[in-house]
Amino acid sequence: MAELHIIGHIVGASGFPQNSLFCKWGVHTGGAWRLLSGLKEGQTQVDIPQTGDVAYWSHPIDLHYATKGIQGWPKLHLQVWHQDSFGRCQLYGYGYCHVPSSPGHHRISCATWRPLGSWQEQLAQTFVGGGPQLRSPDLIYSGADRYRLHTEAMGTVDLELGVIMRHFDKYGVES
Amino acid sequence: MASSSDIRQKLRKKGRALHETLARHKNEDDVQAEKGLPTAEEAYNFFTFNFEPDAQDGTERISRERRKQKKTTDEDRDDGGGDEDEHQENSDMDEDSQDENEDQSEETPLVRDEEENLFVIEKSSQDFLEVRKAEYIRYRKRIQRESELLYTPSNRPVPTSIKLPENVQPRYLEDEGLYVGKRPPVSQTNKNLLENRILKMEEALKSKDANMYIAGTADPEGDYQLDVDVSGLIFSHHPLFSREHVLGARLAQLYDRYLTRQHNNLTGHLTDKLNGLRSALRNMLEIHGGQSLTQGMQQRIYDYSLEVRNTRQLRDSEQEKDRTLLKNIIKVWKDIKALREFQKFTNTPYKLYLRKQNVDRASDEREFEDEILAEVMELEAESEEDYQRRLAEYKKQLGEWKLSRRKQKAKKKKRKKKEKGKVQDDKEEIKDEDQELSESEGFVEEDLPKPEAPNMPDFDSIEQRVREKASRICRKPGEPVLIPELCASGNATASELCPRAEIARREDVTRRHLFVKILYNDKEVSRTESRPLNTDFRVHFGQIFNLKIINCPQSINLQVFEEIGSSCSLLAQVFIPVPEPSVLTGSAPLEEFEFSSNQRVMFDHEGVGSDVPLSFEADGSNNQTLLTSGKLSCCVSWGIGEDDVPLAPPVSQQPGGVHSGLGRLDAVTCIGASGLYDMKKIGEWATQSRLDPNDPKNASIMQLLKVARSGEVTAPDYFRLEQLQEEFNFVTDEEFESSKRFRLLRLRNKGVGEFRNYKLVPALEREVSDKVFQDYEKRLKEEDIIDTKEHLDSHRALVAKYLQKIRESVINRFLLAKHRYLLSDLVIEEEIPSIGFLGINLFKLAEPKRPLKPQRKERKKVTAQNLSDGDIKLLVQVRPFVEISFQRTVLQTTTADGPNPCWNEELQLPFTAPNGDYSIASLQSVKDEVFINIFDEVVYEIGVNDKDGGKSIHTRAEKHWLGSVKIPFSTIYSQSRIDGTFKVNTPAVLLGYSKERSHGSSGGYDMLRSLSEGAFITLFITIEPQLVPGESIREKFDSQEDERLLQASERFEWDAAQGYPDRPCISTVTDLSGKTVFITRYIRPLNPPQELLDAFPNNPQEATTLVARFVSLIPSLPDRVSFSGVCDLWSTCDQFLTLLAGDEEEHAVLLCNYFMSMGKKAWLIIGTAIPEGPTAYVLTFEQSRYLIWNPSSGQYYGQYDTFCPLQTVGCLVNADNVWLNIQECTSPMRMSFDLTKTNIWKPFFSRSFSHPGLSSVQISGFPLHLPFSEIRPIIEAVHSTGVHNIQASNVEFALAVYVHPYPDNVLSVWVYLASLVCP
Repeated sequence: MAELHIIGHIVGASGFPQNSLFCKWGVHTGGAWRLLSGLKEGQTQVDIPQTGDVAYWSHPIDLHYATKGIQGWPKLHLQVWHQDSFGRCQLYGYGYCHVPSSPGHHRISCATWRPLGSWQEQLAQTFVGGGPQLRSPDLIYSGADRYRLHTEAMGTVDLELGVIMRHFDKYGVES
Repeated sequence: MASSSDIRQKLRKKGRALHETLARHKNEDDVQAEKGLPTAEEAYNFFTFNFEPDAQDGTERISRERRKQKKTTDEDRDDGGGDEDEHQENSDMDEDSQDENEDQSEETPLVRDEEENLFVIEKSSQDFLEVRKAEYIRYRKRIQRESELLYTPSNRPVPTSIKLPENVQPRYLEDEGLYVGKRPPVSQTNKNLLENRILKMEEALKSKDANMYIAGTADPEGDYQLDVDVSGLIFSHHPLFSREHVLGARLAQLYDRYLTRQHNNLTGHLTDKLNGLRSALRNMLEIHGGQSLTQGMQQRIYDYSLEVRNTRQLRDSEQEKDRTLLKNIIKVWKDIKALREFQKFTNTPYKLYLRKQNVDRASDEREFEDEILAEVMELEAESEEDYQRRLAEYKKQLGEWKLSRRKQKAKKKKRKKKEKGKVQDDKEEIKDEDQELSESEGFVEEDLPKPEAPNMPDFDSIEQRVREKASRICRKPGEPVLIPELCASGNATASELCPRAEIARREDVTRRHLFVKILYNDKEVSRTESRPLNTDFRVHFGQIFNLKIINCPQSINLQVFEEIGSSCSLLAQVFIPVPEPSVLTGSAPLEEFEFSSNQRVMFDHEGVGSDVPLSFEADGSNNQTLLTSGKLSCCVSWGIGEDDVPLAPPVSQQPGGVHSGLGRLDAVTCIGASGLYDMKKIGEWATQSRLDPNDPKNASIMQLLKVARSGEVTAPDYFRLEQLQEEFNFVTDEEFESSKRFRLLRLRNKGVGEFRNYKLVPALEREVSDKVFQDYEKRLKEEDIIDTKEHLDSHRALVAKYLQKIRESVINRFLLAKHRYLLSDLVIEEEIPSIGFLGINLFKLAEPKRPLKPQRKERKKVTAQNLSDGDIKLLVQVRPFVEISFQRTVLQTTTADGPNPCWNEELQLPFTAPNGDYSIASLQSVKDEVFINIFDEVVYEIGVNDKDGGKSIHTRAEKHWLGSVKIPFSTIYSQSRIDGTFKVNTPAVLLGYSKERSHGSSGGYDMLRSLSEGAFITLFITIEPQLVPGESIREKFDSQEDERLLQASERFEWDAAQGYPDRPCISTVTDLSGKTVFITRYIRPLNPPQELLDAFPNNPQEATTLVARFVSLIPSLPDRVSFSGVCDLWSTCDQFLTLLAGDEEEHAVLLCNYFMSMGKKAWLIIGTAIPEGPTAYVLTFEQSRYLIWNPSSGQYYGQYDTFCPLQTVGCLVNADNVWLNIQECTSPMRMSFDLTKTNIWKPFFSRSFSHPGLSSVQISGFPLHLPFSEIRPIIEAVHSTGVHNIQASNVEFALAVYVHPYPDNVLSVWVYLASLVCP
C-alpha cells in the first residue's frame, strides 16, 4: 500500500506556431492505483503572451495516489489547443509523459505531436483551421495503432513535478 | 624624452630602413635561388601551391618571370633612391642598434624573414581554398568494389544434396504421418535467396567457431549443476599393442560377446519355442487324426507348420553363431598360446579355461536322433507339400500351354486352307501339318514355355542334409559341453626377460600419459589429471567434475588426449548426450562410450601401430587393419543441491522444447476469456473449419472443446483486462480496501459530509481510530432503514425516503450543469467608474449630510472559499425587543419599557457552518433558524434582607414569553439582508395579558381590521461579511414544449429582466423530472377536500380561510434545502400532496387551484416578500376587492394593508396567461390589478401570439360517493360525469374504487376518477 504524491505544475508551452494556447491534461493510471485526493484532469486557462512566444500557465497539479502495484504507473497526457481571435479552438498537439518514478523535483519537457491529414485537409487547415484529431484520446498514452498515424511535431510543454514516494521500499521497490 | 620632431624623424628612418631591408632581402632571395636553395616564397608556395604534375615547366617559367620583374623594380628603386641614402641609412641603423635598444626591439620583428614575406605576398581566399571536382566513382567500378565486400545470394534453387549433411536422405515428415503446419506463403525466389544465404552463412560461421557465441544466447538463465564423472578408459586397440595384446583384446571381446549371448540364451528360448510348437501341432493332428479337417483347421495347421519352420531356421542360425563363437574363442586362445610360445614371453594376463561338462551319452544321443528325426519329418512334409503345389502348378501351366497351342494350330490351318486352295492332297496336308507343327512350336515358345515337370523330392538327401547341418552347428552327441572361462590372472613376463623390441615397446607405454578434456558447449571447462597408461592399456581417472552452468547444455564433449613427454595429441572425441532432467547424480549408472581414431601410427618396436595392416599368419595373408579404439566409461548427470533439490533445468528449458515458461499458461484461462465464447458456436466452428487436432496451435482450443463437451466448464463471466496484475500486486485487494487511512482520505476528497473538512489525517495507519467512521457508517445503515421514530407515521417516513431519492437523481442530473462557469464566476473585476458614476459621486459630496437619516451602504461581497469558523456573524438590529437565539447562542437586548418599545441595538451572533464547510452548496443547505423571542420582563421585589440592615434589595426577574419570530438562515443567506417589519407569532391566548381591541367599524370585513392587530417587530438582519448567494442553474433543460413557445417565453423573461430587473418574472419552470414546463400548465381548478367545503356550507368566507389554512398546514421545505440549492423545482399538486412537503410555489399553486375550483377569480403572484424573498402568493378578487393570500401561513391581506409581507409583484399567472407588471410601482398598495389594461400589465399571450391551448399538467379528478344497490347505477353515475368526453389522443385515466362495509350489508362505494392529458 504504497503512496505517491505528485505535486507540481504545468509551466507552459513553447515552440508552437501560434501562442494563444491552453492545455487539457489528465493523469491515467492502471487498475492498481487509487486516487486518494486531488483532481486528475483539468484544463488550463488560455494564455495570450504579450511578449515572447512562450505561453505560461502555471497550472497546479496536486495528486495523492495509493497503489497496490507498480503496474500502470501514472502517466500524464496533454492536449494543447489553440484559441484564435475568433474564439475558435483547434488542436495543436498531443503529448504524454510518465510521471517520474524517482522521488524529487523533476523538470519535464513533453514533446507534442499532431496528426497530419491528407493534403486536402492540410490545405483546408491552413485556411479555415480545424484539422484531424484523435477519435479516442486513449491513443495518446497507448502505443497500439500508433503506427497508422502520420504526425507532425509541434512544440513542447514544460512541466515541473515533485514526486514523493511512501512505503514503496516496503515492497521491494527501492529508489 | 624625445621631442615630437625627433619621433617623426625616427619614424621616417624606420620606414626607409624597412624599404631598404626589403630590397636587400629580395636580392638575397635571388642569390639564394641561384645557389639552389629555396627562397621563402618558394617555401611558402611549396606548402600552399597546388602542383599540377604536367605544369612544372610553366611554374618555373612563371617564377622566373616573377624574379625578373622584381629585379627590374629593385633597379628602378635604386635609381630613384640613390646609393648614398642607402649607405647612410645603413650606418644609421647600425648606430641605432648599438645605441638604443628600444628601437631595435621595435625593428626586429619587422625584418624577420618569414614575416616579411607574409607582407610581401598578398593573401587572398584562393590561398586557403581549393576547388575540387566532385568525387565520383564510376558505377561499374563501384559495383566491382562492392562485389569484393558484399555477398549477394543468388536466387537459384539450392539442390537438396547441399542442404543436407553428407549421406543423409531427406525426410518428409508429412509422409511419416506427422503433423506439419501450413507454411506461410513466401515466394520461391525469397526462399532460394534465404537458403543460399544460410548456406553461405553457415560456412562463414563454421570457419570462425562463431557458433558458440550464437548458440544458447536466448536461453533462460538458471543456476544448474552438471556432474561429469570420468571414471576411466579402456583401449580395445592402441598403437602400442603388441601382437599378443591384439589377440588378447580380441579374445576378451569374443568372450564378452559369448557372455552376453549366454546371458540372453536365445538358442535355448528358441528351442523351447520350437518344441512347444511341435507338440501343439502334433496334438492337433492326433485329435483330428484321420478325420476330414475343416477349412479353418487346415489353415491353422498350415500356420503352425509355417511358424515351426521359421523358428527352426532362427534356432539353427543362432545355434550356428554360438558354435562359431565358441570355435573362434578357442582359435584365438590357441593363437595366443602359439604366440606366447613363439615369442617366449607373455604380455597379457589372459588365460582361458575350457570347462568340460560331461553328459549322459545315451540320452544325449537319443535326444539328438529325435531331434534329427523330427526335423527330417518336417522337412519331408514340407518338401512333399512343396512338390504337390508345384505339381499342381505344372499341370495348370501345361493345360494352358496345350490350349494355346491348339488354338494356334487351328489358326494356321485356316490360313493354309485359304492360301493353298483345295488342290492339295491329304498326304501333303499331313506333311505340312508336321512342318507347321515345328513352325508353330517355335512360334509358341515365344509365348508360353513348355513347363517342366517337378522332380520328386529326394527324401534320402534330406536326411543327409539335416545330419550335415547338425554336425556343423551342434555339438556331437556325447561330446562334453565346453564352457569357456576367461580370467586375467596370468602374469606378464618381466621386462628383463623380454627381447629388446618388446622392452622398447614397454618403455614407450610407460611414457604415455592420458588425460581427458571436458568441453561444454564447445568450450573447455575442465580437464582431468594426466594419468599414465597401464600395461594393460587401461587408464583410471575416477574424477567427478561439477559444472555450474547457466546456459542450456547444447553439447557435452570429452576429448581424450595422449601425452608423450611434453607434446600431447588428440586421440579421440567422445560426444555424450545431454542427460534428461530426471537423471540425477547418485542414481545414474556409469556408461561406456566407444571411441576410435583413424590416426596412422607406426613403430619400429613390437607395437603393432594403428591403421597399419597386420597379419598373424606366417605367410602374411589375411591382413587386418586395426584402428585405435577404446571405451570411455563416464557418467553425466544433473547435480543435487544442498536440500536435495535437483539442479536440473525444467523440461521446458531443454533446447528444442517448444513451450517457454510463460507459454505454458493457458491463454484462455489467463485472461479469463472463456466466458466470452459460446461453446456451442466454437464447437460448430471447429467442425466446420476442420481444425487439425494435431496442430499444436490448436491444442488449447481442442482442450477447451473437450472440456466443454464434458459439460464441466465453469466459465467466468468476466474479462480480465490486466492479466498478471494480481501476481505483481504488493498487497491483496482486501488489505488495500481495509486501509482506514486511505478510506479517510478518499472520503474527504469525495466531500462526504462527515469528512468534508477533516483537517488532520494521520500519516500512519494505526493512528486512525475506528471511531472516525462510526457516524458515517451509522448514517449509511440508516439510509436503508426507515426511522419511524423521527417521523410521525410510516407514510411520512416513506415520503422522506422518496424525497431523498428524488434529490439524489436530481443532483446527479444537475451535476454536469453545475460545472459550467461564466467568467464572472471566476474573475472578480472591479468596474471601472464611468464619468456618469463619478459625477453622481461628486454630486453626492455636495449633498447635505443628514445624520438623522442614515442609509445603508453597499458592502463588498466575499466569496465563500476563504472563510473559516468565526469569520461570519449575523448582525441583528432590533428596534422593538429582545432575545435572539441562533445555533444555541442566545443574546439579549436591554429591556425597554412600554407597549411600543424601541431598542435600536445591534446583536452579533456567530455562525458556524456544518463541518466547517463554507462552500455555497453547504451554506444553502443550512437548516438552522434564527429565533427571535419577545419576553416581558417583570421584576418582583422579594423583600429586604434583614441581615444586611436593609441595604440590599432582592429582586426576581420573570421572563414572560410574548411571542416569537423565526427566520430561516437559508432565507437570510439567499436574500443577503432582511429588512422589514414582521408580525410576531403570538399565542392565541396570553394568560395574564389582554389585547386592546378597537371596536370600530363592523363591516363585512372586520377580519381585515383584526389582521393589522397584533405585535410587530422591525428587524434588519444581515451576514457579515456579505456572502455571495448561490445562484440557481442557468442551464437549459430539455422540454416537451413547443419550440416557438420556449423562444417566446425566453424573450418575455429577457425583456422583463432588461426593463424591470427587480421584478421576478417566471414563465417556465422546471418540474421534478428536470423538464421545462410552461407555468400556466400548473394552474387549473382543483376540488378542495369535501370536508373543508362541508364545514361551513353557508359561509364561503370561513370555507376560504379553512382551505387556506389547510394548505398552509402542509409542511414547507425550501427547494434550496431539499435539493442542495441546485435549482427551483415545481412539483404538481399531486406530487406536492404525496410528498407532503414543498416550497411556497407549491403551496401557492395548490391554494390558487382550490380557489379557482371554489369559483373565485384567482391568480398566482410571482413576487418578492419578506422574509421569503422571491416567492409566490395568491391574489383573489372578491367583492371588488383584491386579497393577497400568503399560502405558507394561510393569512390574507388586503391590497392596501401596510403589513402585507409582499413587497413587489413581478407577474401574475393564471391558467390562460402570464402578465408582467409594467407599472411604475411594484408594491401592491400602489398598483392596480386591472389586467385588462395592457399598458400596465404586459400579457404573454396576446393577439400576435395567441394561447395555443396548453393543457394542464395537473390531474383532474373527483371521488364519487354512492350507496351500493346495483352496479348499473354506479356506472351510470360515472358516465354522467362526462369524464370521458375529452377529445385528446394522449389522455390518460385513473380509476380507484373503495367499498366501505357497514353493518347489515350496507355498503358505501367510493369511486375515484381522474383524467390527465399529457402535455
